[in-house]
Amino acid sequence: MRIPKLLRTSSFRITTAYAALFSLSALILFVLVYSGTSQYMRAELNTAIASDLTELDEIFKTQGTKSLVREIQTRMRQADNDDMVYLLQDSLGDVMAGNMSPQALDTSASTFEISIHAPDGKERTVHAHGIVLPDGQRLTVGVDTFDLHEMHAVILRAFAFSFGITLLLALFGGAMMSRNLLLHVERISQTGRKIMKGNLSLRIPLRGVDDEFDHLATSLNLMLNRTERLVESIRQVSNDIAHDLRTPLTRLRQRLERTQRTEQSAEGLRTAIARSIADVDGILDTFSALLSIAQIESTTARKEVARVDLSEVLQTVVEIHQPTADEKKQHLAARIVPNLRVLGDRELITQMASNLLENAIRHSPEGASISLAGGNDENGVELVIADTGPGIPVAERGKVFRRFYRLESSRSTPGNGLGLSLVAAVAERHNATIHLEDNDPGLRVHLRFPIPTLDVSNDI
Amino acid sequence: MGALKILIIEDDRETADFIVNGLMEEGHVAAHTANGNEGLSLATGDSFDLLLVDRMLPGLDGLQLVKLLRNAGNMTPTLFLTTLGGIDDRVSGLNAGGDDYLVKPFAFAELAARVSALGRRSRARLLETKLSVADLELDLVSRALHRNGRPIDLQPREFRLLEYLMRHAGQTVTRTMLLENVWDLHFDPHTNVVETQMSRLRCKIRKDNEPEVIHTIRGVGYCLRAHP
Repeated sequence: MRIPKLLRTSSFRITTAYAALFSLSALILFVLVYSGTSQYMRAELNTAIASDLTELDEIFKTQGTKSLVREIQTRMRQADNDDMVYLLQDSLGDVMAGNMSPQALDTSASTFEISIHAPDGKERTVHAHGIVLPDGQRLTVGVDTFDLHEMHAVILRAFAFSFGITLLLALFGGAMMSRNLLLHVERISQTGRKIMKGNLSLRIPLRGVDDEFDHLATSLNLMLNRTERLVESIRQVSNDIAHDLRTPLTRLRQRLERTQRTEQSAEGLRTAIARSIADVDGILDTFSALLSIAQIESTTARKEVARVDLSEVLQTVVEIHQPTADEKKQHLAARIVPNLRVLGDRELITQMASNLLENAIRHSPEGASISLAGGNDENGVELVIADTGPGIPVAERGKVFRRFYRLESSRSTPGNGLGLSLVAAVAERHNATIHLEDNDPGLRVHLRFPIPTLDVSNDI
Repeated sequence: MGALKILIIEDDRETADFIVNGLMEEGHVAAHTANGNEGLSLATGDSFDLLLVDRMLPGLDGLQLVKLLRNAGNMTPTLFLTTLGGIDDRVSGLNAGGDDYLVKPFAFAELAARVSALGRRSRARLLETKLSVADLELDLVSRALHRNGRPIDLQPREFRLLEYLMRHAGQTVTRTMLLENVWDLHFDPHTNVVETQMSRLRCKIRKDNEPEVIHTIRGVGYCLRAHP
């Protein structure tokens, strides 16, 4: 049912409203022009009649009736005067001169409009004015209102024509616009339906005109980006859980089975149980980390965004990792500018910084140098953690943030490969950027928090 | 360390048995219900020293239960036990009126330590300005420590650590409890910062033949008390 749909669109309704509004103003304009010109023309007519009358009256007064008659006849013969009618009647009503037939002239009215039969047989309307001369004669001068009526007709025709055209154009234009709108909206709906059928990578096409439709399409596309990322994230987590939790679970099972088969002494059993509990704890840790990461990635706007004293957080992080660095005879240097403030979640930021420092310490050999620097400049607050360890090859720098990703060189070091994934999730949540650079030798991690804007909590 | 009257509101049979038996072995009195609504009426009716509440319950959910209790003016110390271990989950639990939050699965020793800590709290006066245990005297206003009259200089972290130990004197506090309350950490950093700091503190406060007051409880945590 296409037609009703077209008429139901808001653009069509708006167009109709505008068309009505225009019609109304056109109508008002028409009325004004019509009455204005009408009044003007009548005034002109009256002036013409009045001046004629005055002149004729003057002639009568100065030269008498015969001169008047002669003057009237002269005027009647003037070519450019053929819209003027004259009539001179005596006191009894008989015609003395003139080209107007003495129809039932109402002697009490002095200005009137009548329909007369002109000498050339045509029916004309005349606007006349009559005066009574001192000796009872009646002098009437009139003007053919043909021009006036013609003018009225012209104006009317012009208005009617343009009115009609405009109305048609308005309705046609409205229909076209509605159709365009409908097509575009239909295209968006269709894309939506295709996406729901399962193709999450589709995006709504933009028209390229930067209008509100393009803005709508852009917003929807951003939303789709996010949804696609989230779905991908969920898929990844499920895959990762299946793949990387199987390994420690398998090991656990093997240990328990071996114990069941071979272990006899109570002491041996106790030891095996203790080790198994430790294994289970490790698996639970990995599980928790995975869920944390997924939770961090999936929530965009954090309910409680607060001002975090990053300096204090960094000092705590250095403190908690100092013992490990000392054990490895590493040189841990911290340079933290006081009162660094960022907007966000204190716990998440602490965990992120802790993971980064832990990585630096863990993957660097004994005696290595590790530095942690916190500062700020016009681009925001900055955290730099550098080590003199083996570093990360350029080719792998993009991959290390993936869940469970371990570099070949560090497969033997303890850890579940989730540390950097959590760092990446927290950084993204805080709109912070991370860059991995060569510390020559070693790795330098460069984390930058943006300058907080008013709209921080609503960023996608 | 008095015996506490504890109500456990937990719908998983095995977990409930595990907890009830463990607490009774510790010398506490434990009651149990598997239903949220029943738990609410029991908690409101009887005067328990402590409530252990599972968040996901049939009937009334744990969070709602505690909110209702708090709204009714019931301030019984409450510990949430739950599989919901996300950061937001913990925050919402504490915002609902919970006093502590323990994620399942947990070592029983962890639960026991937290139970003691919460049970004690209801009777402690939090407005104290001085803490004294054995021959240690900690002035919370001037931030000064004296042992047998001898002044001891403490770093801020050492002060916090000792303060926490003294507030829980006689009770065992776990490593996790220390990380949470002294370092404000809600994740395990996998370092032995607690052990390191503890031994540093021990060194500072013990001179010559003074008795050791900070004891290590193997497999559980630490305890500050006069007698071993």
